[in-house]
Amino acid sequence: MTRHLLRLIWNRKRQNFLLTLEIFFSFLTLFGVVLFAVHYANNARQPLGYDIDRLWNISVDRKEPDEDPAVKARHRETYRQLLSTLRELPQIEVVAAAYTGPYANSNWGSRTRLVGGRNVDYGVNNVTDDYLDLLHIPLVAGRWFSREDDAATWKPVVINRRLAQEIFGDANPVGQIIKEERDPKDPPPDPNDTPEVKRVVGVIEEFRQNGELSTAGNYLFYRMRLDGPDPKASLPDRIFVRLRPGTTAAFEEILVKHAMAVAGDWSFEVQPLDLMRRDMLRGYMLPLAIVGTIAVFLLLMVALGLTGVVWQSVTQRIREFGLRRAKGATVSNVRTQVLVEMVIMTSIALVVGVLLVAQLPLLPLPSDLQIVPGPVFLTSLAISVAAIYLLTLACGWYPSRLATRIQPAEALHYE
Amino acid sequence: MLNHYLVLAVKVLLRRKFFTFISLFGIGFTLLVLTVVTAMFDHTFGPDATEPRQDRTLYVDRAVMYGPRSTWSSNAGFKLLDQYARNLPGVERLSIYEGNRTVHSYINGKKIASSLKRTDDEFWKILEFTFLEGGPYGTQEVAEARFVAVINATTRRRFFDGRPSVGQTLEADGQRFRVIGVVEDVSELRTPPYAEIWVPYTTSKTDAYKKEIMGDWSAMALAKDKAAMASIHEEFNSRLLRVELPDPKHYEAIVAPFETKLESFARFVPTSDRKDPESQVWKLVGLLAGLGLLFVLIPTVNLVNINISRIMERASEIGVRKAFGAPARTLVGQFLVENILLTIVGGVAGFVGSILALRVISQSGIATYARFTLNPRVFAYGMAMAVLFGLISGVYPAWRMSRLNPVDALKGGASR
Repeated sequence: MTRHLLRLIWNRKRQNFLLTLEIFFSFLTLFGVVLFAVHYANNARQPLGYDIDRLWNISVDRKEPDEDPAVKARHRETYRQLLSTLRELPQIEVVAAAYTGPYANSNWGSRTRLVGGRNVDYGVNNVTDDYLDLLHIPLVAGRWFSREDDAATWKPVVINRRLAQEIFGDANPVGQIIKEERDPKDPPPDPNDTPEVKRVVGVIEEFRQNGELSTAGNYLFYRMRLDGPDPKASLPDRIFVRLRPGTTAAFEEILVKHAMAVAGDWSFEVQPLDLMRRDMLRGYMLPLAIVGTIAVFLLLMVALGLTGVVWQSVTQRIREFGLRRAKGATVSNVRTQVLVEMVIMTSIALVVGVLLVAQLPLLPLPSDLQIVPGPVFLTSLAISVAAIYLLTLACGWYPSRLATRIQPAEALHYE
Repeated sequence: MLNHYLVLAVKVLLRRKFFTFISLFGIGFTLLVLTVVTAMFDHTFGPDATEPRQDRTLYVDRAVMYGPRSTWSSNAGFKLLDQYARNLPGVERLSIYEGNRTVHSYINGKKIASSLKRTDDEFWKILEFTFLEGGPYGTQEVAEARFVAVINATTRRRFFDGRPSVGQTLEADGQRFRVIGVVEDVSELRTPPYAEIWVPYTTSKTDAYKKEIMGDWSAMALAKDKAAMASIHEEFNSRLLRVELPDPKHYEAIVAPFETKLESFARFVPTSDRKDPESQVWKLVGLLAGLGLLFVLIPTVNLVNINISRIMERASEIGVRKAFGAPARTLVGQFLVENILLTIVGGVAGFVGSILALRVISQSGIATYARFTLNPRVFAYGMAMAVLFGLISGVYPAWRMSRLNPVDALKGGASR
């Protein structure tokens, strides 16, 4: 039966080729959108690693570059004063400073070459000791930065569980030094610089800086000190505060006035973190919404087109169907024939399509582009295949009824 | 003859209303999307009321400083532009201005965020703002660092309830400015003019910017005529070779060319080579054309399929015409006329739809103060796209039709 249908399809190969091509392109479009959506949905289920309740972000613009050590020392002093001024305000519970923070749209990434030549990439942040308390970050092993680290001759770091697993495997990472080597392609280091040694003091569950829809990745915290001995240590770009319950938005003006009193030359931009979160989520969703809307209309267009084409070809083959019915085929036999032909063409298109997109995970892409985990890929594939079958069957359904509406006797001399 | 084809085409299209509807829906939607994109592009890059002399204006926005292993990419710094971009031969006017900053003001406990731009006085002579009251600041205000500001209509509404406000003061980012002019709102997508508050650049909180080679500044040069544009570009590039770079250990060259707005935008395209001072605009065009082709792929195949179905249905008509000696060329011509007519009707439908879509997009607040509209230029692009689309989707079916065997066709259609 199937072989017979295949021959029938082959006989009308030119037209069927174009139909198959259309189904193929529709599949690719749908798969792209579904992959995008499933990826987000999957990300949204993963733990975030922090809590932004009652947090405000204060972005600081220092107006003056600080390559000059004198300027840097002055800025460092201003920061110290700023933080202690803010701590004294009764409306504020916790104050921390950092290079960046949640939903900040400013990311800092780094790469380390482990001994043995393996590279690991991770997101980096430079934070003061209060950062953990500020964001309620759950620790899973070891401890967070504290005064204990003041005298350390190494750089204390806190990493997330994924990065710990990637560097140390199943061994306990707490207290270990990350063994690095120099990439032979790099120029030889300045002999005056002492190489930086990172020692893990603690492990956190997770820290997805870009929020719920971002892809979970490796993360590493450095300790930031404003009272350290190193004149070259970098300065924060942001100050975060957690407000006492019941503090209103009107406090912002008071907060900025206090900050300006300490640093009149600087500019401060205060944003509640829940608003930054909203903006960031919108930034993620907007492209999906645009692409999704266009894809829906394209598929609607394809659905209408397919219906029309199948309808036309059924009308043209009325005599063929009449003959079949005269030879004893039932109404449902003929209907099934039309639908099975549709399924066969869809299957051909989908086999080619699936083979093509299956190459995607196999491509030797750089690791930051390999963002989609296997289950997400397979789920999206399954959803798209099912949706395309449904779509084409729906398009064949009405014409298939049409094929059997005419009586066999009429159909045989139908012009 | 053409007249005859058109009458016939209308008759055919009306006979099979469902097919005509499907075709029109596909064409209309496709051209709607293309028109919306074109209109947004035109809104951003075409000449408009504030920037009428776009065809002879050049900009420096992006700067890239690089060495063997380091690359620093940001906007140009004030020092670079102030020291090297002045007195270029062929330049009628030059303006240097800073990138927009969001500044905050508090009125009765309510926060107002505004976009503030620090500019020089030439800025107001190159751009054509519509002043609702007052006027711009001049050379003297800039030289003396007076705290004066030009605001837009929305800022006037937010601070002063829309009442005449020249002479009033407002506080932004801890600085107090006296309003000397109010202009109409300018769309956020017109990056060079856009802001909500404009103030002299000399009112900056520190002087640190004066020493920066890389920073957050842009320059805008109005050329004397179009012919001078190439030499301005060349001359500035050759001056950049002599720039004293801040960190010669890491950086050995700087690229910050004077370019048209579109060329300057093309530098953001991932495929462009930012270290090349020559125009990257073809890479942008290539990318856009590629995306456009990808988008019209499905509608084209869809329309080709429908067209073939329509032809097969008319096989007997074609058979009769062939049997009476009509050459293939005539039949192909007739079919193309029919298809182009259909795409033009669909194009007009899409065009009407895009007016609604653009209104919705403008109101959604996706870009501040942007009012996307259709103008004759966009309409011409839209019609050109419709005709092109009609040709592409009509050629293959027409060729198939011309090859029908008259004997088969007379019997009601060949099925292979």
